[in-house]
Amino acid sequence: MHMADALVSAPVAITAGVAAATLIVVASRKVAKIRRDDILPLMGVMGAFVFAAQMINFSIPGTGSSGHIIGGVLLAALMGPWAAFITLASVLIIQCLVFADGGLMALGCNLINMGAMSCLVAYPLIYKPIAGGSTSRWKIMAASVAACVVGLEAGALLVTGETELSGITALPASQFLMFMLPIHLAIGVCEGLATGAVLCFVAGYKPDMLYSRAKSDEPVRRSLSRRTKTVLIAFAAVALVLAVSFTWIASSDPDGLEWSISRITGATELAEAVTPATAVMPDYDSTFAGVLGGLIVVALLWGFCSIIFRKRHAKA
Amino acid sequence: MPKLESALISLHALGRPAAGGRITATASLAVTLVYLVAVLSVPLYAPQRIVWLAVYPVVSAEMSGIGFGRVFVKSLWVLPLVALIGMFNPMIDTETAFTVGGVAVSRGWVSFTSIALRGMLAVQAVLVLTLSAGFFDMCDSMRRLGCPRVLVTQMQFTYRYMIVVIEEALGMDRARKSRGFGRKSYPLGMWGRMVGQLFVRSYERAGRIHRAMLSRGFDGTMPTPSSAAPAMNARSWTYLALWTAVIVALRLLNLDFVTPDI
Repeated sequence: MHMADALVSAPVAITAGVAAATLIVVASRKVAKIRRDDILPLMGVMGAFVFAAQMINFSIPGTGSSGHIIGGVLLAALMGPWAAFITLASVLIIQCLVFADGGLMALGCNLINMGAMSCLVAYPLIYKPIAGGSTSRWKIMAASVAACVVGLEAGALLVTGETELSGITALPASQFLMFMLPIHLAIGVCEGLATGAVLCFVAGYKPDMLYSRAKSDEPVRRSLSRRTKTVLIAFAAVALVLAVSFTWIASSDPDGLEWSISRITGATELAEAVTPATAVMPDYDSTFAGVLGGLIVVALLWGFCSIIFRKRHAKA
Repeated sequence: MPKLESALISLHALGRPAAGGRITATASLAVTLVYLVAVLSVPLYAPQRIVWLAVYPVVSAEMSGIGFGRVFVKSLWVLPLVALIGMFNPMIDTETAFTVGGVAVSRGWVSFTSIALRGMLAVQAVLVLTLSAGFFDMCDSMRRLGCPRVLVTQMQFTYRYMIVVIEEALGMDRARKSRGFGRKSYPLGMWGRMVGQLFVRSYERAGRIHRAMLSRGFDGTMPTPSSAAPAMNARSWTYLALWTAVIVALRLLNLDFVTPDI
């Protein structure tokens, strides 16, 4: 999801850069206040860990495309959102400056699309309400998958928005979305499973390393009221349903992109020329996307039920 | 994992500045930013204007002793990425821009050329910066330019621990290969355990390193060595001023009498 300099215009890059710089300053202040002895080495080693993990590209079955994890949710689950954001920012800056992966001008966009969306949006709104301080494997898995999917879809949405605002590609926003959202839904599920696997291992091996457990004795941590939780979960549900339905729309009409491009250009013979381009999400993927969507709904239901039942248990 | 091994080599090599680099990292960083703004602000349908801006990566790569050939080859990998998005332009924007010897060239192809050039030149500029300035000098100049200390320290930690993690990963990979007797595929659960194990190993080694640092007087920020170069010297100021002037001139001057307007 790293955006290259070629695809952003100067105004978009500078605006995103200023926004990202503000977030970094805020996060730095928050991190400086963290009173946890091992936060510095933890941030350092986690940054390095995520860096190595981002280099492993896994192929997405049936799409001919590949993706890598972002690691924001993993970082946030271990160190809290702000420290996670700083850690991910350092990874992205090193990738940009040392490996020229992702442009220097597009760095602001990348920090927001990948860093802020996963650490500052998906973790507090999705992961925390579902998993909380639990070490239950299923809750951690459900929360990881849901949070990674939402974080990646939000990032993909922003990538589309930023590219369209830059006016570099002639591809209309709606078609670009149809291309970005299904791919990132698949990547999100893979990343969620990977994140869940590592977190389950940590929960079994050293549960106090999980952020929500390390702080569970502080009353301030438990400040989310039940109503807020319900609202946030409803939000998550709507976002997920939207993401999933996008996939279904995209794949229920496999010729959608070709059809729309030929309509836009008014030349029917173009549809033939375009086919290789749309092969990223070929026809037979409707079942695949459906299965994925189904899995996510099950994961979401599981998250819902576990929270409701935990409340009842707590009351009883 | 040749990718991990090559990353390890790059990390060791890129930590310190290139031998020919006598310009401070602050000046290189500033020139790169000016250059990127110049490249990205060229209108999409005027690729003939971007071509002129290639002067900077070519000359600065040769000046700092990196060699433009190396930078050019490294920048080629950006093309597939750019093509993935850019390829839609020739398909959608089919209006004829100009004709060359009876062959009509569409506006979509013009903008596609522009996107490819932007991508290549932007990556080349960052590569020149990286290869000439060195990571730790760059961190130092970021700190001097007002970047939060927490972030700079974190970047330095990440860079150092990256080597630790990659070494641990390579060790585990060697162990897996030597006990696997040529087996290539493993059940998914084993990968999960391996990644978890890698994480815990690296974390514990990082903890030991951190305690060792604390016992040697580490106070939360990396100390700057007293031998560190100043942020800017006369040479660097001249470098910054000259390049800014050249880049602004190349961007603003109408050189269309040499490369005709499209």
